[in-house]
Amino acid sequence: MYRYDAIDAALLADRATEFRGQVARRLSGELSEDHFKPLRLMNGLYLQLHAYMLRVAIPYGVLSADQLRRLAFIARRFDKGFGHFTTRTNIQFNWIKLADAPDILDSLAEVGLHAIQTSGNCIRNTTADPYAGATAEEIDDPRVWSEAIRQWSTFHPEFTYLPRKFKIAVTGAAKDRTAAKVHDIGLKLRRSRDGELGFEVMVGGGMGRTPYLGQTIREHLPARHLLSYLTAILRTYNRLGRRDNSYKARIKILVASLGAEAFGRAVEAEWAELDQASIDLPDLELARIRADFNDVAFQDLAPVSVALNAAKAADPSLARFVRNNVAAHKVAGYGIVNISLKAPGDVPGDCTADQMDAIADLADAYGAGEIRVTHAQNLVLPHVKLDDVAALHAGLKEIGLATANIDLASDIIACPGLDFCALANARAIPIAQAIAARFADPATAESVGELKIKISGCINACGHHHVGHIGILGVDKKGEEYYQLTLGGSGAEDASLGDVLGPALSADRVAPSVDQLVDVYLRERSPGERFLDTYRRVGLNPFKAAVYAEAV
Amino acid sequence: MTEAVITANSLLEGDVVFWAGGGWVEALADAERFDDASALDAALQTAKGQVTTVVDAYAIDIIDERGQPVPTSYRERIRALGPTTHLDHGKQALGGPSIEAIAAHAGAGVRSSGRLGLIRRK
Repeated sequence: MYRYDAIDAALLADRATEFRGQVARRLSGELSEDHFKPLRLMNGLYLQLHAYMLRVAIPYGVLSADQLRRLAFIARRFDKGFGHFTTRTNIQFNWIKLADAPDILDSLAEVGLHAIQTSGNCIRNTTADPYAGATAEEIDDPRVWSEAIRQWSTFHPEFTYLPRKFKIAVTGAAKDRTAAKVHDIGLKLRRSRDGELGFEVMVGGGMGRTPYLGQTIREHLPARHLLSYLTAILRTYNRLGRRDNSYKARIKILVASLGAEAFGRAVEAEWAELDQASIDLPDLELARIRADFNDVAFQDLAPVSVALNAAKAADPSLARFVRNNVAAHKVAGYGIVNISLKAPGDVPGDCTADQMDAIADLADAYGAGEIRVTHAQNLVLPHVKLDDVAALHAGLKEIGLATANIDLASDIIACPGLDFCALANARAIPIAQAIAARFADPATAESVGELKIKISGCINACGHHHVGHIGILGVDKKGEEYYQLTLGGSGAEDASLGDVLGPALSADRVAPSVDQLVDVYLRERSPGERFLDTYRRVGLNPFKAAVYAEAV
Repeated sequence: MTEAVITANSLLEGDVVFWAGGGWVEALADAERFDDASALDAALQTAKGQVTTVVDAYAIDIIDERGQPVPTSYRERIRALGPTTHLDHGKQALGGPSIEAIAAHAGAGVRSSGRLGLIRRK
């Protein structure tokens, strides 16, 4: 994986030192809270309900085993022994003290980690396919381009005070594991008919109170022009985006009001004016970045592991784990192993310090020392020999992380909600736990098949409810926690926004209603159909009738 | 007026704190209770002035439950207790009659924010 160079290291050390000075000035009263707040937010430090929360960036979701060990250390030393992986593939610590924050940034910087671009109206941490460099589906490695974006966007003086925050996702494969179409910019790697590497550029997607799917403004941007074209988009947004109303400040509102075609023309005009060569990544630098990502020494192995097949035959739980959590690798004899952070009863995305240490050890032993974070709040060991999967599974079992439920009904995305977040209207985690409990029997969850349930505790949609097959939005209805259900959303390559099922439900009705929705699906489904497919074929009415039958 | 207390987060720790007699305490049970609007306003102005001690002081409604103050809103109950997902974290870990009184009301509320003064009264 990519190693930060001397410039990066100096930059992180300087940044931590600078923040230490800012904290000291705040504590002395030299800086008011109004002055300090934007400074701490630029270092990922929020003040939430119970304490400060520190959001640490995990650029394009890639961690080394040593970095994960450092996160475990921070969880243990400065928090309550756990961290929370987010839908932006970052990690949040919930119980941070302001006085400790400079020490934490110092500690992170030692291993090339930081909290830059995790808050504020800048270009946020870029997300990428967690299967990057491992899946045979990909046209090119999205980490290479995400790293280029990181270098270009970090502290970019022109784009540090945008009208609003700005999120970019890069997928190298047609199968989209990044939710690219609900990002400010979604980039999909592709090849033209003559074989030239390029990006499909999608702009103006987003969730929140006004959800939109991104629209393609360029079918094929030659890959070498990525940075100059991004500059043109950002410059157009910076100039035309609204600053008078924060609810209308995201690029999605601008693209919707101008129309994608007109916005695209404005970008092309801007791009034509730019000195592209001075912005685009030199081939030599691209080659240097690429070389850093080609560091896994794969062995020549048989495509089928006799050892794994024998172990599966002897252990049904291993067979289930392989069915649900292990994906095909581009190299024969290897697999991509998903680690679910969604054991029924646990908090989605939470990971204890002991688990982090254990995962780091397992990654070193079986996974080339590399860990990925997914936007679904799970982890991935991208390069595991099939011969080692049984041992890895046993190791995960020991730490309670062998849940075989990737993309099943108990693999629920949930934001921290009102249990932690100062913006939330309602709790999200207890709802997720109540639903997951109903699918705790792995055979039940597997018989239902792929079902992506996503829960947000407020309209800001950190829990991606708009693109859940079943989306759940917490609302405040006359002082009570209520939940608005949507059906038929998808954040994948078949992206769509969910349709509202009906009036919001009280907290205790949500999990039973999910049961009812699943019953309708099981009754209506044709062979091979996922929940989403059935919904798209039969429409809202049978589902609505089931949930609201009693009320009618 | 309904009874009120003043709350904030401590600057240094981020902890939820409550106003009592010119300073700040950790437990809602120890908070100074106001039933007079002018006394509340005066205390709130003083509290807001302590900018190197706390962040964002504001008043919240409470009700009395067997002598214990309980915030009317579930947001403020969660602040006074800790996350409902980790019962060993936050103030609730200490237990006691005040925590029990708040926890007994944890499920339902009359207003989500519980924050006074957000809606300007005529």
